[in-house]
Amino acid sequence: MDTSRRNVLLAALGALMTAAAGSVFYPLFRYLAPASTAVTKKKVTLQLKEIPEGGAKFFEFEGLAAVLVKQKGGGVAAFSAVCTHLGCIVQWQQGQNQFLCPCHGGQFSSEGAVLGGPPPKPLAKLPFTVNGDSVTIG
Amino acid sequence: MSIPEKIYRWLDVRIGVGELAEKELTGYHLPVTINVWYSLGSVLLFSLALQVVTGILLLVYYVPDADKAFASVTAIMNDVPFGWLIRMCHAVGSNMMVAVLLLHMFSVLFMGSYKRPRELSWLSGFILLNMVMGISLTGYLLPWSQLSFWATTVATNSAGAIPLIGDELVQFLRGGRLVGPYTLGRFFALHVAVIPLGIALLVGVHLFLLKRIGISAPPSGQKDSRVRWKGDSYRYEEHPGGIPFYPNYVVQDMSSICFYLALFLLVVFFDPYIFFPKDAFIPANPFQTPAHIKPEWYFLPNYQTLKIFPSEFMGLMAQGLAMTFLALLPFVDRNPERHPLKRPLFLACAIGGILLWIGLMIWGHYS
Ligand code: FES
Repeated sequence: MDTSRRNVLLAALGALMTAAAGSVFYPLFRYLAPASTAVTKKKVTLQLKEIPEGGAKFFEFEGLAAVLVKQKGGGVAAFSAVCTHLGCIVQWQQGQNQFLCPCHGGQFSSEGAVLGGPPPKPLAKLPFTVNGDSVTIG
Repeated sequence: MSIPEKIYRWLDVRIGVGELAEKELTGYHLPVTINVWYSLGSVLLFSLALQVVTGILLLVYYVPDADKAFASVTAIMNDVPFGWLIRMCHAVGSNMMVAVLLLHMFSVLFMGSYKRPRELSWLSGFILLNMVMGISLTGYLLPWSQLSFWATTVATNSAGAIPLIGDELVQFLRGGRLVGPYTLGRFFALHVAVIPLGIALLVGVHLFLLKRIGISAPPSGQKDSRVRWKGDSYRYEEHPGGIPFYPNYVVQDMSSICFYLALFLLVVFFDPYIFFPKDAFIPANPFQTPAHIKPEWYFLPNYQTLKIFPSEFMGLMAQGLAMTFLALLPFVDRNPERHPLKRPLFLACAIGGILLWIGLMIWGHYS
């Protein structure tokens, strides 16, 4: 028996079967795969007068929750509202002037720094530009 | 021991797969003269499986709501990656399954396999045929296109010809006076749950009967082509000296399936719209009937029959009688001879019937 010829044929058969299986499973995978969540890098513009002093406004930025804080004294800061611990969305505590994460009690300052609880890192800052009475994030 | 061998050993010790394979595969003997027509059953099982798989996949994106159905189907065709492929496989597959089903039936007719002791196999197969027609009809409505809408309007309307209960029956089928969102709801339930369950059950019965009675030997190539069965007690039809199901006939089954698959993919990739009239691409509009609305090709003979007869009721009766006759054929035709050439009367009637059916189909298509 010519084993090398046999091996070549077997390898060819294997390649053919793999290609056949691929042509079935690739379409199947693509059909079931979630719709592509290509994040549109759109800038978000917010009006400053909508936010009270010491208040915060939540909005959607690149598909995720984000928050703009109007600090006492007039400064503003923008953060990703996703807690750096396990990904819950933080809440703004107007009175205490800090963020509280409802899931495991993480606390962040109005500057995004960790004040207490399990979060390992400060909230991610978002770039923004102030333009008179409006703020553009992104 | 290699890993597959180990798995085999593990299973064999527990559930005796070796013995099972011996009994059902290598030790299951088929008549030596068995021919290619006998593999159509496997082709049908395969195409049914394909319908089930593609159907489940379509359920992932299809929305059974009259306001959204058409848009969801359009999205499947245009937006979902490979959605067109899944849908085309389902739509083309249903047509081709009906075609194979008819071929399977014709081969059983011509080889006389429906004769005793296989009356129950014939009956279960006949009911399956009707269920497949039913699942095709209900599936036709789901894309909620002009074609769907009006074909269903016409089809449900014909039930109105039945005296006394006709009007109530039509309303019951539609879930209202007209075809509408309620019709979609009930047809959806029938299409994805009720009829599939029935089909699964009946396929089980059909296969059980096949295994229990034993396969019939083809009448050709035999000296004595009569049914030698005696009606005194149950007896399994054995074929000593026959060919084993595995591997011999499995190869035949597989090659038939591959041939079918090649044909199927040819249609899917090169002419998928062969079964789609253009009204299939317009959303349903209850206020505008398109011209020349026609059913699927396999319903054309029924459609034409209804047009020929002076009253709808007579047309329905004619169809009902023909179907009842077909269902009861094994009880009517008690001649033990199975070879078609030795049954000239049967042969004439069968060919005449098929020609009539095809003729009505062509007539219906061009009328
Ligand atoms: S997720 Fe925010 S504290 Fe755990």
